[in-house]
Amino acid sequence: MDKRFTIIVGGKAGEGVKKAVQVIAEAFNRLSYHTFQMDDYQSLIKGGHNFSVVTAAQAEVFSAYEIADLIICFDSRSVVEHKIHRCPETVLVYNSDDGFDEAGIGVPLSALAKIHLEPGANVSISAISVFCGLFGLGRDFLVEMVKDSYRKNVDANIAYASAIYESLKVAPQFLLGDHTRVQTKQMSGNQLIALGAYAAGLDQYYGYPMTPASSLMHYLASKKEAFQVQTIHAESELAAINMAIGATYAGARTAVGSSGGGFALMQEAFSMAGIVEAPLLCVLSSRPGPATGVSTYTAQEDLMFALYQGHGEFVRVVASPDSHIRAFSLAAELLSLAWELQCPTLLLTEKHLSECMQSIVIDPNDSPFADYKKTEEPERYERYSDSADGVSPLLFPPSAQMIKWNSHEHLASGLRTDQAEAMLAIKDKRNRKFFTAQEAIAKYQRIATYGEGEFVVFAYGSTVLELREAAKHVDFAMCIVGIIYLEPFPTDLLAIYKGKSVVVVEHSSRGAFAEFLKSKLQIDVLASILKYDGRSYDPLKLASHLQEVYDAQS
Amino acid sequence: MRNLDTPKENTWCSGCGNFGILNAFKKSLELLETEDHIPLQDVVITCGIGCHGKIFDFINVSGFYSLHGRAVATAEGIKLANPDLHVITFGGDGDSLGEGLEHSIFAAKRNMDLTLILHNNGTYGLTTGQFSPLSEKGYKGLSTPFGNIESPLHAIGMMMEAGATFVARSYSAKPDHLANTIRRAVMHKGFSFVEVLQPCVSYNNTYRLYNQHVKQLEVVPDDYYMALSLAKDPEDIFIGVFREEDKALFHNELYGDYNPVKMSPDRQMRRARIRSLFPN
Repeated sequence: MDKRFTIIVGGKAGEGVKKAVQVIAEAFNRLSYHTFQMDDYQSLIKGGHNFSVVTAAQAEVFSAYEIADLIICFDSRSVVEHKIHRCPETVLVYNSDDGFDEAGIGVPLSALAKIHLEPGANVSISAISVFCGLFGLGRDFLVEMVKDSYRKNVDANIAYASAIYESLKVAPQFLLGDHTRVQTKQMSGNQLIALGAYAAGLDQYYGYPMTPASSLMHYLASKKEAFQVQTIHAESELAAINMAIGATYAGARTAVGSSGGGFALMQEAFSMAGIVEAPLLCVLSSRPGPATGVSTYTAQEDLMFALYQGHGEFVRVVASPDSHIRAFSLAAELLSLAWELQCPTLLLTEKHLSECMQSIVIDPNDSPFADYKKTEEPERYERYSDSADGVSPLLFPPSAQMIKWNSHEHLASGLRTDQAEAMLAIKDKRNRKFFTAQEAIAKYQRIATYGEGEFVVFAYGSTVLELREAAKHVDFAMCIVGIIYLEPFPTDLLAIYKGKSVVVVEHSSRGAFAEFLKSKLQIDVLASILKYDGRSYDPLKLASHLQEVYDAQS
Repeated sequence: MRNLDTPKENTWCSGCGNFGILNAFKKSLELLETEDHIPLQDVVITCGIGCHGKIFDFINVSGFYSLHGRAVATAEGIKLANPDLHVITFGGDGDSLGEGLEHSIFAAKRNMDLTLILHNNGTYGLTTGQFSPLSEKGYKGLSTPFGNIESPLHAIGMMMEAGATFVARSYSAKPDHLANTIRRAVMHKGFSFVEVLQPCVSYNNTYRLYNQHVKQLEVVPDDYYMALSLAKDPEDIFIGVFREEDKALFHNELYGDYNPVKMSPDRQMRRARIRSLFPN
């Protein structure tokens, strides 16, 4: 039997809630448990209520659960807020200096912090002490975790952690079972997207802060020295994408990222990437919209927006990772495809994958590398020379040749044209890339299926993760079909589902993904399960939804 | 030096100030190559959309015909990818001070090592003469048939305030002055801005005004306020260099002597670095 634990830490923004859970997840990883961490926070810096949750299991875990085994409350508000996450077996630990719960275990988190920590230090460290105490882990393990996780003021931290540990005064409540120490690392989707793009040759990232894409920019910025990668926080999304395209002209492999609002601003430049044939990787991490919407929660409202970025006709590749490991491989594939096809490629994801962390190990050895078609006649170079596959060779300055990229319609030389015949020639050349793109993406995994059975559920993006966790709790055979490549659409691989009745699960209120599938595959949508409150699915609730649909049709 | 002409038919109006800018730019490229040893192949141009942008088609130099307002951002990306290139961006007043004002201001703020040549014709020529950010109050165009009710921006003052380290003005009808100014701007390390007074014969013919009032500034004013008052002089229209100073370059501050396209880590190095992040 797969052992599984869910732990919530709640508190005010600025109290180190997310960090506290990261440390607990890291401890689980060291104890050979798989973890999935989700941070629920609002668009504010101090106060309010934030919480993070980690679900840990001996088997791989794909999403976090709503009902917790252990809840650690840094403040009184958390005790109230997390009533919905409790069941009779839930163990609750509260800060006896700020809160009370008659069924809970009170620990003076703040008073002990005052004794041991510097003024203003937060109570974040206490969570790992509570964890170690309640999971029967020895003091040595606690000290190891504190030392490795909180690098400043180590002695004070250990003193505080030990004081919390000793003041618990309850017997261990949870048993981890046998474990060997296997090493994984918790990584967020955005971190893995960054690493995947880097593996494929990313030189520069251009961005402008917008949750939930910002952490991609932050992560790459932190790797500047170690990775020789530059991150430029520009004056706007408009600047970011235009700079990124300019940099490709000089031969740098670049990417941009934002959420829906930022991409709305980037539209014209996205189209420019189409006509100048710039190899550009775009990362769109969705949140609920429209416009400002809800900044820090998840949604899949931007599917059509992602598929139809820009105006005018031009080829693009759009794909969405259905797991953390795919976030890495797909980012590498999409940067490579951008260079192979000389077109914009778009990685569509959402807050749930971007920011949630999963324990993972990455092997970069199989990832593709962004290479490009080179000129065979460097002495007679024309930027947009015709070719059977529509892809013209790239050459970068400095060169004795004239290298002209042009956002106006143009001749093979890159000089502008308004002539009818010349327009046909260049549009036909570019359009040949639609076929080339279909062939190019075929070398990568375009769909992913999980499980076998007549009951078929379609999803894309991190909804596939939620389904895989929910699948552990249904009592019928279910096949989850995750669509990774959305454009060009893998009709060839999905032909077997034509005419079938399927279930579609997505995070939108209008069911755009279900409509999209119907238009592409002539499938019958038996049920469209929609969630649009910004929150991820609780695996158990999703499982019971699926069970209802299954029971109704059988 | 190679032939700088292209086979494209020139479609500027007869008498357009843009001819003066094109000719002066060609001259400055010759000077840069012969006098300053900057090979033509190290020069890359970008331009926005408007009459100014057609210069892209009329000159046999590598470059990027960008979007309206975005040529400065495009140029910044090119420079940041390969800092060995000399990047020169052409913009109209609508292009660089209207749609793309933010990029002009921020490139100056960063002291991005590139040159912005502003074709100031005080109008939107290519879209048939609407008022521009530099049009005088009262200017009548199709969108302001009863006269523009806004006051114009002041390009030199704004660029000085934003942090441009080389700020100059020249006149399209003074080809030698313009060629030398462009040459100095390109040779300047840091963000260089050249406002070119450019009469538009169709919608804003300023030849008489400029011929009467343009005066040459012989030395660079050593004081910010002096420079500003000369640039904004109500009587004389001074051409010359208003500011020329040294300041750290954005790309040097960002990555020192590194060159992203020449020194890009190879595939194996990238893989090793990724592996090192994960426990063994």
